[in-house]
Amino acid sequence: FMQHWGTVLTQNEKWVASLSQVALSVGGGVMVYYMIKQSGTTFRNAGLSGRDLCKRDNKRLIPESMGIISGTVFLMVMFLFAGVRFGQHLLSSDKPFPHELFGQLLAALLSISCMLLLGFVDDVLNLKWRYKLFLPTLASLPLLMSHYINHGSTHMSIPMFLWPYMRHCINIGKLYYVYVSLLAVFCTNAINIYAGINGLEVGQSIVIAISIAVFNCLEIPTYLGNIHHLSLCILMPFIATSVALFCHNKYPARVFVGDTFTYFAGMTFAVVGIIGHFSKTVMMFFLPQLLNFVYSIPQLFRLLPCPRHRLPQYNPSTDSLEFSRTTIRTRSLNRHTLLAVRILSSLRLLSAVYVASDPKFDHESTVTINNLTLINLVLYWCGPLHESVLTWMLLFLQVLCTGLAFFIRYSVANYIFSDKPPN
Amino acid sequence: SSMSSNKLLAVFPLTIPLFLVNHLPHDDDVVSIRSQVIMIIALSTIAYFSTDWLIPKITPFLLRANLFGYDINKKGSKEGEKKIPESLGIVPAFVFIVLIILCQSFFYENNQKLVEYNAGLMSICFIVLLGFVDDVLDLPWRYKVILPLIASFPLLTVYANVQGITWIAIPKPLHWLLHESVNLWVFYYVYMSLLSVFCTNSINIFAGINGLEAGQSFLMAVSVVIHNLLQLCFGPEELRGNHLFSVLLMIPFIATTLALLNHNWYPSRVFVGDTYTMFAGMIFAVVGILGHFSKTLILFFIPQILNFLYSIPQLFSLFGYSCPRHRLPSLNVKTRNLMPTDDLNLVNLFLRVFGPTTERSLCLRLLSFQSICCIGALILRYTLAHVFYDSL
Repeated sequence: FMQHWGTVLTQNEKWVASLSQVALSVGGGVMVYYMIKQSGTTFRNAGLSGRDLCKRDNKRLIPESMGIISGTVFLMVMFLFAGVRFGQHLLSSDKPFPHELFGQLLAALLSISCMLLLGFVDDVLNLKWRYKLFLPTLASLPLLMSHYINHGSTHMSIPMFLWPYMRHCINIGKLYYVYVSLLAVFCTNAINIYAGINGLEVGQSIVIAISIAVFNCLEIPTYLGNIHHLSLCILMPFIATSVALFCHNKYPARVFVGDTFTYFAGMTFAVVGIIGHFSKTVMMFFLPQLLNFVYSIPQLFRLLPCPRHRLPQYNPSTDSLEFSRTTIRTRSLNRHTLLAVRILSSLRLLSAVYVASDPKFDHESTVTINNLTLINLVLYWCGPLHESVLTWMLLFLQVLCTGLAFFIRYSVANYIFSDKPPN
Repeated sequence: SSMSSNKLLAVFPLTIPLFLVNHLPHDDDVVSIRSQVIMIIALSTIAYFSTDWLIPKITPFLLRANLFGYDINKKGSKEGEKKIPESLGIVPAFVFIVLIILCQSFFYENNQKLVEYNAGLMSICFIVLLGFVDDVLDLPWRYKVILPLIASFPLLTVYANVQGITWIAIPKPLHWLLHESVNLWVFYYVYMSLLSVFCTNSINIFAGINGLEAGQSFLMAVSVVIHNLLQLCFGPEELRGNHLFSVLLMIPFIATTLALLNHNWYPSRVFVGDTYTMFAGMIFAVVGILGHFSKTLILFFIPQILNFLYSIPQLFSLFGYSCPRHRLPSLNVKTRNLMPTDDLNLVNLFLRVFGPTTERSLCLRLLSFQSICCIGALILRYTLAHVFYDSL
């Protein structure tokens, strides 16, 4: 079936499709910019608003869930693009119509639009957090069904250094579908928790999207080129609409993006990774999000107390952010947790301040640690920072990790994996 | 009790399709048409119970999110003070979408139909999203025209790429003028997107009485299913794929709508919102376009067409008419009857012509009118079809 993908499009058709998609995306981005500008009042009146806790004026209502605008315009651009891209086959009727490729695109768009719907419903209805794990699984159903129906392969390739011991690729069968839905859950929630300061959610998504797009461009000449081209054409309107959103969301934020956007972004990345068979590469671009998630595990799984907001603390007198803290009674922690805290703080991965007799906690001994997010860790290492400086630093970190991912993918990976497409 | 008599009214129209199901062809492929229809009926029953269970669960979230309204037709009485949750259309839409995604496996072998199925689902999902956004943000009415147009793009794209037929058959009496069939080229696509706009909005404006929106959609869906089943049983074999496609979408829709009616029928405990009316309209447009029976579909929409035509002066503010937010009758608290106002729609027309009555019986009158029109449409379609066209 590899040859089938390769003969579907000629170079010319790809260029026409790409250029029209660039034009459509730019148009979409401009549309998003103006629509967001005009709809602040509408969102506030509908109750979709929040307060910026990292500002001096933290009582002002800021419109929330603006991700719905960028998501809807993204879908509109994709509909128009589908007409252009697959309409070319009507004109040159010598090649058979690529039903499978078109079906893949529809399944991808269906998953993204279901996620957008569920994300917006979650923003409006404020569902409990356990639904945040379940909703991406539901939204990934179209992708799973399309894969199943098209007799998609459920093989995963094994690193080359294990070849003497095992087969070259194993068929993980039904577990592949579990993997796909877990990927969707991870991508959406990882972006969701690596958030809280102006522009971080949109900014990291733009960096990841551009990285995947560059990767797709590099891979187009290979025999899986058509699916990489399709992935690139999905990412172009995403980047354009997200940039428009970023213009309004960067410091100082005039709008918030809401869970709608983080779900939408995470799902888009999971979807292009799955249909293009490069999900492991997508994971490599998620390195900061992965580090943030791993670092947050003790608080997320309640090994340590988890407050409602783990955002950095705003200091009005210096107009900068400091890391936020949680104070815990030492007697409520077991021996192993206390030891782990000591080890991490000696490695300077955690700020731990011990107070033998804390007046605020009935004179018991307490330890005050920073809230376990990457943002707080960076503030611990670098001292108090202005919010926009912090955001740009974290985005720069994201770019560095992308560079590292490309290095690993194109040098080291050749020694680990063969030339077969990884799953 | 009145609840069970209401339920009986709903079951009655379903007997005809169930009778027809027995006569479906069941001797052709490995998975015959009859067994596929029976399977979808079984799955739709699960959808019915899921929707019925889910609606009261979602209600508190909607009330907390300020998505509620007051029942204007009960204004002045005690019930008019109660907060009724709005936009419950999201629940049947959600269950429907999940069921349809899982039912893709029905089209396991047929790639072409699978792509059409997905495109239809894509349009429906997009319109549900837009309908819910509209309910939350209260978008101006120009969006209600533009958004269904955009939501129909996946349909148009799939249609162009997979079938691309832009010829329409001309009725026999007009053969001397226009030949046997006429190619509409791009205007066929304009017609298809206008159909989406029309279906979504016409149900939206023929509304306002407890249970009217869901009730009319239920009756129209049953009529569509009857038409599909008649074509499957007695029609030409090459059109079977189209009608099976339509049946597989309509039956889950009927099931989820019935579950919604359980809570939305007079006296309404929930309101359906624009989410439901746009969802319903789009499903009809999808089956009509991809199933190639849009002209028959329009015949089922006769009450909605009449309501739209009658409302035109108000909708476009012609002849000195203004268009208020709600064009509903007013309640006479003493007699508990609805009194007509000057508004130009079928609801008020029925009150003026047949006299004031309670809300429940007004709804039953309007739905009887819908049933009569649907039955009339079926009779018209099947008796006059061979007068106008060559086939059944």
